[in-house]
Amino acid sequence: MAAKRVIVIGGGVSGMQAAITLKKQGMTPLLIEKDINLGGKLCRWDRLFPSQTPAKEVVESLVGQISELGIRTLLCCEVSEIARNEGKIEVSTTDGNSYEAEAVIIASGFDLFNATRKEEYGYKIYPNVITSVDLEEMFKEGRVVCADGKAPRSVAFLHCVGSRDRQVGNCHCSRVCCITGVKQAMEIKELYPDCNVYNFYMDMRMFGSGYEELYTKAQEKYRINFIRGRISECSGTIDSGVRIKAEDTLAGRPLKLTVDMLVLLVGKQAPALNAKFASELGITVSPDGFLKGMDCFENATRTSVEGVFVAGTATGPKNVGESMSEAVKAAMDVSEYINTLS
Amino acid sequence: MANLYFEPFIIPFIIGVAVLFSVMWTKFISWISALPKSDKRLIMKNIFSVATFKALWEAFRECLLHLRIGRVNGRLWYMHTSLAFGWFLLIVFGKIEALLYLDSPVIPIYVDVFFRKYFPFAHVGALGVIMDALLLFVLSGLAAAVIKRFRPSMYGMKRATTHTLGDKLALSALWCIFPLRLLAESFNSAIYDSGSFLTGSLGYLLAAIFPSKTLPYINETMWWCYSTALGLFFISVPISRYLHIFAEIPLVFLRSFKVRANVRATTFTKLQRAACSRCGICIDPCPLSENNISCDTQSVYLLRDEREGGATIAKADSCLLCGRCQRMCPVGIELDTIRISVRRNLREKFDRFDYGYTSNIDMPLANSKIGFFSGCMGRLTPSVGESMKRIADKCGLNIWFMDAEEGVCCGRPQKMAGNIEAADKMREHNEEMFVESGIDTLVTSCPICLRTFKEDYQLKGIRIIHHSQFMAELMESGVLNGLDKRGTLTYHDPCELGRGLGIYDEPRLVIDRIGTLVEPPRSKADSLCCGGSLAHLGLSLEERNKIAATTDRELESTGAECIVTSCPMCKKSLERNAKVRVIDISEAVAERMA
Repeated sequence: MAAKRVIVIGGGVSGMQAAITLKKQGMTPLLIEKDINLGGKLCRWDRLFPSQTPAKEVVESLVGQISELGIRTLLCCEVSEIARNEGKIEVSTTDGNSYEAEAVIIASGFDLFNATRKEEYGYKIYPNVITSVDLEEMFKEGRVVCADGKAPRSVAFLHCVGSRDRQVGNCHCSRVCCITGVKQAMEIKELYPDCNVYNFYMDMRMFGSGYEELYTKAQEKYRINFIRGRISECSGTIDSGVRIKAEDTLAGRPLKLTVDMLVLLVGKQAPALNAKFASELGITVSPDGFLKGMDCFENATRTSVEGVFVAGTATGPKNVGESMSEAVKAAMDVSEYINTLS
Repeated sequence: MANLYFEPFIIPFIIGVAVLFSVMWTKFISWISALPKSDKRLIMKNIFSVATFKALWEAFRECLLHLRIGRVNGRLWYMHTSLAFGWFLLIVFGKIEALLYLDSPVIPIYVDVFFRKYFPFAHVGALGVIMDALLLFVLSGLAAAVIKRFRPSMYGMKRATTHTLGDKLALSALWCIFPLRLLAESFNSAIYDSGSFLTGSLGYLLAAIFPSKTLPYINETMWWCYSTALGLFFISVPISRYLHIFAEIPLVFLRSFKVRANVRATTFTKLQRAACSRCGICIDPCPLSENNISCDTQSVYLLRDEREGGATIAKADSCLLCGRCQRMCPVGIELDTIRISVRRNLREKFDRFDYGYTSNIDMPLANSKIGFFSGCMGRLTPSVGESMKRIADKCGLNIWFMDAEEGVCCGRPQKMAGNIEAADKMREHNEEMFVESGIDTLVTSCPICLRTFKEDYQLKGIRIIHHSQFMAELMESGVLNGLDKRGTLTYHDPCELGRGLGIYDEPRLVIDRIGTLVEPPRSKADSLCCGGSLAHLGLSLEERNKIAATTDRELESTGAECIVTSCPMCKKSLERNAKVRVIDISEAVAERMA
């Protein structure tokens, strides 16, 4: 069979990795990315846990391979319609074109939780309440300061903003925020050793290799204060600080604290686009809105619809490494599927 | 000796009347005598005043003519009025008929009731026509009642009340009374060739059907049956919903004397409970019923279970206290207060928290005569307080944000849960803080706090207003001006602000100045609940979202680009499910300042 065309939706790490693997397997991938460049959410990231590898390195390596292998890429291009007709996948894009392929890998990723939905934390109300993504961009620019340009003397991190929160309709754990909170707290300490750093958490989920060690180091070496308890409300102070009310559930008492900066560790949530894929292709979504693989094991990257595959955070929160491994698996599954067609 | 006119067939009727009146009087007298002293003082103060005449007029209007039901539902009104007023007139004209015929001032009551049996040859001319017409009127009401029972949808009601055993007994007896009266009077006419257009004509027909020698026996039986049906009905009144017929009368008088239900239940609560006719009008407006969340916890059922001694805490807790049912109640029962008192009675102890923390909170120092109280929910929606700060700055006003650092809850959530003692602790703390701070105006953005401040707090010399009223005043007086007028906005009336406190106009006045107001299909007193109410103690988040979504869809149906509300709780609940922006009225104003 000649064509072996495969459309990959999403040019983040998993989409790029999938396209690269497909190409190496002798197929013709077409990579569709809605942004102006490849890399997805990682483009806004500075360094990656647990190894402090610059995100740029990972992205550049993948982008390099894409261009070396001559993989066709469409940028600033969104999927407007997707359908499966007579064994072929037809994708129409917002630039007015349509493409046909034997298979599709959906690697459309996740949305960040909109922190203004938790109004009690004062994001976009108080100048020094920021999100973990805002902070990462500050790290990237090499200038971590308060709104008035001064160095923060105290910083609080709040875990699980928009994750594990039924109030906002997100019951799932976003997995990577715990370790991100540890990483960013340590980075703050590295920048400003005298700064007091507090992390407010429900429980710390240190699932990855080296994560727990990092958490221990954060406590022992960096003297970061981990407080088990959620922040209930925030208010602004006259000097643009953030007044926090929380409960220390280990000590069993309420707690008040004023910090120069509050960082909200925003979670991952399913993008609205998933519902579109589900209705147009007939694949299923989980109650949390993420796409559903056929099972959680060997068919995790296959879906209930033939020729439709999934990879990366489109099926739920994952870290970079997991997303890339899954992309390889999806590409191998596609290759196996296309070979059965011929 | 006066003629007693005794005949055996009146025995069931006499027993019924005796039981009914002895039970009822015992109940009513014991309830009224057990009222708290303050209520008794109110009665003594108002009984010799125009309030008594007002109550008389209201009793005539509501107990007989049921005008309030008429405003809600025309068909239901006809059913109630034809039965109640029709029956009342039958009694009155029966008495007149007897008085005219016997020309004696003392006539036993059963003689009027069974007049035709006693005096079959009496020809009272036009009165006979009137009596037949009235009987027909009542029978039509009965037909309406039968239809309602089996087809409530014909009355625009989705659900009719389910009945207790006592109700079923009384209902069966009631349904038999008037057809039996018709038959009894008609058989009488068949024998004596009397009666008017209805009983006379039917009698003529019966005379043609039945052999004439059987007629006296059937006639006697029919009168026995009629008397028995009446007796049975009267006996079952105290154990059925029909107690409302009599309980509503003292209720109207006591209410006119300004006696009110209390969250600490009094015997007035029992009287109100007895006055519930279980018409079921409270079922359909309930958001829990509209959203199919629970259909057996509405006020009618809580009152019924309470009367029968079977109310559960789960049922009492399952209510948003949104006030939609109370507004519709044709008897004017204070449903929300009664429900709180039931919660209080069913929860024996509230000892998990002692609320001692209030004594550890410092009294802040005021720096202005105008104090702003955010309240707990207000502090979870900081954009409201920030908007108020910006508005105050623009107007050159100094406002003291009294609970910015810390504050004590207004106490309404505790009160709504039935924990009156805890609510009192909060109230005492806040009263002291407000009064000692020296403020003369207390502004709050939270309708929940506002209602408590207005209804429960003693704050002499302090004006208590909602922030929408505060802004409306600033606009009216020209202090707050130069605002952009843009966008189409729809307004959601918060339950506590609208139905609770009757504040509908000021928020609309504010919105009119900053945009184009489009009203949703149900607004003002008929507005829906956001589902966030602190009053419901067992609702899951999904159920709350269901209620909010219904309300959101209705607000979105206006096509407005933004939903404006004036309660932090409503804002939080509505924005969770809305497809358009949801903002507080103060944010809408602050956004349009130059």
